[in-house]
Amino acid sequence: MTSTPASTPALRVHDLQKSFPRRRQPPLRAVDGVGFTAERGQVVGLLGPNGAGKTTTIKMVCGLVRPDGGEVEVCGVDARRHPRQATRHLAAVLEGNRNLYWRLTARENLFYFMGNRGRSPRSVAAAADALLERFELGDKRDALVADLSRGMQQKLAIAVAVLAGTEVVLLDEPTLGLDVQTGDEVRRLVRELAAEGRTVLLSSHDMAVVQDLCERVVVIAQGRLVANERVTTLMHLFASRAYDVRLGAPLSEGQAAALRRAFALVDVSDDGLAVRVDLERSDDLYRFIDVLRAERTPVEALDRVAVRFEEVFRQLVTNGGRLPDGHAVAVAEGRAREGVAHVG
Amino acid sequence: MWVNVLAANVIKVLTEMRRYLPNTISLVVTFYVIFLAMFLGVTVVGDPSAADTHVRFLLVGNAVWFLLLVGINSIGWEITTEATRGTLEQLHMSPVAPRWILLARLAGNLAAHLVIVAGMLVLSMATVGTWLTFDLPLVLALLGPMLLAVTGLAFAVAGLALVFKQIQAMLQVSQFVFLAMAFVPLSVAPWLELAPVVKGIDMLRASLVDGAGFAAFGAADWASLALNGAIYFGLGLLAYGAAERRATARGLLGRY
Repeated sequence: MTSTPASTPALRVHDLQKSFPRRRQPPLRAVDGVGFTAERGQVVGLLGPNGAGKTTTIKMVCGLVRPDGGEVEVCGVDARRHPRQATRHLAAVLEGNRNLYWRLTARENLFYFMGNRGRSPRSVAAAADALLERFELGDKRDALVADLSRGMQQKLAIAVAVLAGTEVVLLDEPTLGLDVQTGDEVRRLVRELAAEGRTVLLSSHDMAVVQDLCERVVVIAQGRLVANERVTTLMHLFASRAYDVRLGAPLSEGQAAALRRAFALVDVSDDGLAVRVDLERSDDLYRFIDVLRAERTPVEALDRVAVRFEEVFRQLVTNGGRLPDGHAVAVAEGRAREGVAHVG
Repeated sequence: MWVNVLAANVIKVLTEMRRYLPNTISLVVTFYVIFLAMFLGVTVVGDPSAADTHVRFLLVGNAVWFLLLVGINSIGWEITTEATRGTLEQLHMSPVAPRWILLARLAGNLAAHLVIVAGMLVLSMATVGTWLTFDLPLVLALLGPMLLAVTGLAFAVAGLALVFKQIQAMLQVSQFVFLAMAFVPLSVAPWLELAPVVKGIDMLRASLVDGAGFAAFGAADWASLALNGAIYFGLGLLAYGAAERRATARGLLGRY
């Protein structure tokens, strides 16, 4: 990897703007004021529904789309003013297996792309072979890319980006279309990249992958930043206050009616032995227990309903970055858009 | 650094030519068949007393036409192919500016096709039993500025491909324009001296067909040739730069 001061963020995006002209229609505002920072060794997820502006944002970071406004810094290099210098610090896999030359072998692809970075086959041969082994492609090094499976092609595309030795690696949908085993391998490789101190900006619709790999996420909807927060914090913020209660005896009609009067969300099973209840305030649990105790209804189990990241993402996008209680998660209008967490 | 970029692209061109061998062979065979058809036309339909001159004319014209076609259209084809494959954006994420990568690619293409042209020319001469006179230093001196203009045109075509992508129809039609450039002598249309490469083709024809040497050309001829090469090279690069800026402003690089 090339070296830059450790205090400089690997990637800093500030107030990025992009509109595309349309025939007989007003310009399409694809990205509007998106900003975030990715530190060294972080895996950051860039999320959003289709058409949210993720790909445009990634392409502006890569220098493939020229922004109308805003700043992109890659390892301290102003990517708008010095795009070629910035690409020394950045590699990307944007279209997975389509990023390769199918009539060249795995090794020839690695040599070709490194050649375009000014490096000779001799200088990268050892690293290329080691990387192919690490990516479990060692026995396929002289196979044409056209003859490799999709998963192998995907891994090779990532290997090309890794061999470039850049501090920042952008991966667009790295596990799309892969089987479970290859998907797991790609996840392992992404973790290894982060462990090496590289910054990975990852775009994916697979929320399980995002939850598993990303330290923080940047969520975009309709071109605007709606959240920029650590995954654990988001999970905490969106943690469900709903509980599943299993009873030793069925609820009476009177108890069910009392619960419905006391709590906004109550769902009682047909047999009256299971209840899901949303306990919004801290003393709600005592009130709930009081209703049960009135008729000595035994409680066999009480479990907090687990929240999945997919649900968090859905709520963020639907509510424009607001928590269920109406507070903003990350970005208040006009505040630091680099996205220091603004909660509440 | 530049040597490695050049080497990587020349190796890629040669490797892909080998891997797409049927494509390469069919290209050569097609041109050879076209040459044979033209040769038959010249000998059967044309004036028999001028047949030898016409055949020499044909040998040079056909070789130049082939070179113009593969030279000028090559990067355009490359860009449309890369956009379809999904590798075009990767080229634009290199620390080396894409135009220099494409220039290296073109150098590889031209070098490979110059060898093929030489082989085809020998085969054509052997077929018709007419041998052109080669003053190698003069031919090389003429090819330099000519290839510079060819490179400029190639970049202009590449720029169009970058913005519009689907330019195959234009590339198909362009082969007839190149045919005219390769075969129409300046004595018939003097204004064509302003067109790219035509002055060089005319001088090359004078050398190969009529046996003209260095002394046959004056300073004005060389100046015109050099200026032609430099201007079209510069214009081509400018056009490509403008197209690249438009493509990045409109997000067209990854689209096909």
